[in-house]
Amino acid sequence: MAICSAHTTTSLRSPCTTVSNAGLRQKQVIFVTSNRRSGGGRRHGGARSFQVSCSVDKPVVIGLAADSGCGKSTFMRRLTSVFGGAAEPPKGGNPDSNTLISDTTTVICLDDYHSLDRNGRKEKGVTALDPRANNFDLMYEQVKAIKEGQAVEKPIYNHVTGLLDPPELIAPPKIFVIEGLHPMFDERVRDLLDFSIYLDISDEVKFAWKIQRDMAERGHSLESIKASIEARKPDFDAFIDPQKQYADAVIEVLPTQLIPDDNEGKVLRVKLIMKEGVKNFNPVYLFDEGSTISWVPCGRKLTCSYPGIKFSYGPDTYFGNEVSVLEMDGQFDRLDELIYVESHLSNLSTKFYGEVTQQMLKHADFPGSNNGTGLFQTIIGLKIRDLYEQIVAERAGVPAEAAKV
Amino acid sequence: MAASTVASLSVPVTTTTFAAAAAAGGADVLIVVPRRAGAGRVWFPAAARRGGGSGRLVAVRSSGPATPPEISDKVSESIKQAEETCADDQKGDAECAAAWDEVEELSATASHARDSLKETNANDPLEKYCKDNPDSEECRIYDN
Repeated sequence: MAICSAHTTTSLRSPCTTVSNAGLRQKQVIFVTSNRRSGGGRRHGGARSFQVSCSVDKPVVIGLAADSGCGKSTFMRRLTSVFGGAAEPPKGGNPDSNTLISDTTTVICLDDYHSLDRNGRKEKGVTALDPRANNFDLMYEQVKAIKEGQAVEKPIYNHVTGLLDPPELIAPPKIFVIEGLHPMFDERVRDLLDFSIYLDISDEVKFAWKIQRDMAERGHSLESIKASIEARKPDFDAFIDPQKQYADAVIEVLPTQLIPDDNEGKVLRVKLIMKEGVKNFNPVYLFDEGSTISWVPCGRKLTCSYPGIKFSYGPDTYFGNEVSVLEMDGQFDRLDELIYVESHLSNLSTKFYGEVTQQMLKHADFPGSNNGTGLFQTIIGLKIRDLYEQIVAERAGVPAEAAKV
Repeated sequence: MAASTVASLSVPVTTTTFAAAAAAGGADVLIVVPRRAGAGRVWFPAAARRGGGSGRLVAVRSSGPATPPEISDKVSESIKQAEETCADDQKGDAECAAAWDEVEELSATASHARDSLKETNANDPLEKYCKDNPDSEECRIYDN
């Protein structure tokens, strides 16, 4: 149920603003009787000076799973950008807070639910990947409370000190994202998710990324980077990797096949695996929905530089589920390549022609903006916006507006 | 709507945008110039190169904020501890894994700290000005 059903707006950029008045909690129900069509600028009419919250009282909850250092934060920045507005840490709070807040979205990091701090894990010989280092009861209770529209006092795991800091207040947003190692591990938490994503980075690429991230760090060497990945792998395989079977969308990042024996990790082959039959989620397709297609856009119309770009699309099964898989190998070097590709994809849930390209260019400085990781993260962002709008429309009792493109 | 789209698309786009993004952000670095140690480049030990394949070496990225010392010290300390823990016969695989997991956690924290410094720097008025006027006197960067 939306708080102010009079608006029944399905737009994320709705005229309604989030409550900013300190004394007003989201749980309070305020009936707004003004009607948009009655015109006039007095949308927030009445003598009182507070602004009326028009957000739905039950946030849409999204789960994002990936290993540490595998691009969750870049994905989150792309996602919040699609929703409009930049995501920032809570103002005036703990400077080491892991939370990001934008107008529409709050992203929390599930490390905050560590039950063992850094010392505790060391004493017990338990990694952060191990469920024993995490408090799933509290995670479940708090995600459930947020989903029901209640604010929670969430703990803060301080990544610098390795200690649990005093909690921070999290108010229910429109879109609530839980990102971390275990968003789909606990069945109770999993069932609260309206949509879930798993970032699946192949060992080769993980190694290349971590070299790039850590080599300049004092004390690190190729051996230490390798040792860290290898030592964590058993727990990763046991507790993190199996979550991908539950994901509605999986972004798989692999080495390219365009360059034989490539081990540079520079050019990537990225797969977007989309589960069929997920409510409010219609997979993207290339040319003809449900067919199997291999497409090299580079040719007479489009000139690409080495090693070129190759797309594939088709139906498949993934952990026994029916899925559609879209794959991109190679990278974009010029704008016209990106636009050309966008114009050949369907079901993108864009609001105008060129929106994918626009989003990619807006964040050209983010990692992966010239390859499939950036493209598919942007597409998933648009899909989540669409899903959100459909859910809101559904709650408000009006049929969802179909995607325009 | 269409007009504004086209306008906004055409503004920030140049061929170099993508090239720069690829250099700054892609997973394209095998050889990194150390931020602290000054001029020298770090070359991979040949034995550590993977697969024995082409092994083409690329040198990129020399600038960017350094990790705050408090975190940097923790990273190097944790690596030392992990190496010791795993070499110790008295300690098991679990302790070894937990020790390397701490290294990963601190390395990720260091990376996030550098990213937020980069963001802070990007909001600096001088940095903003220099982005548009890289050749002006106050924006020149000299190698030592």
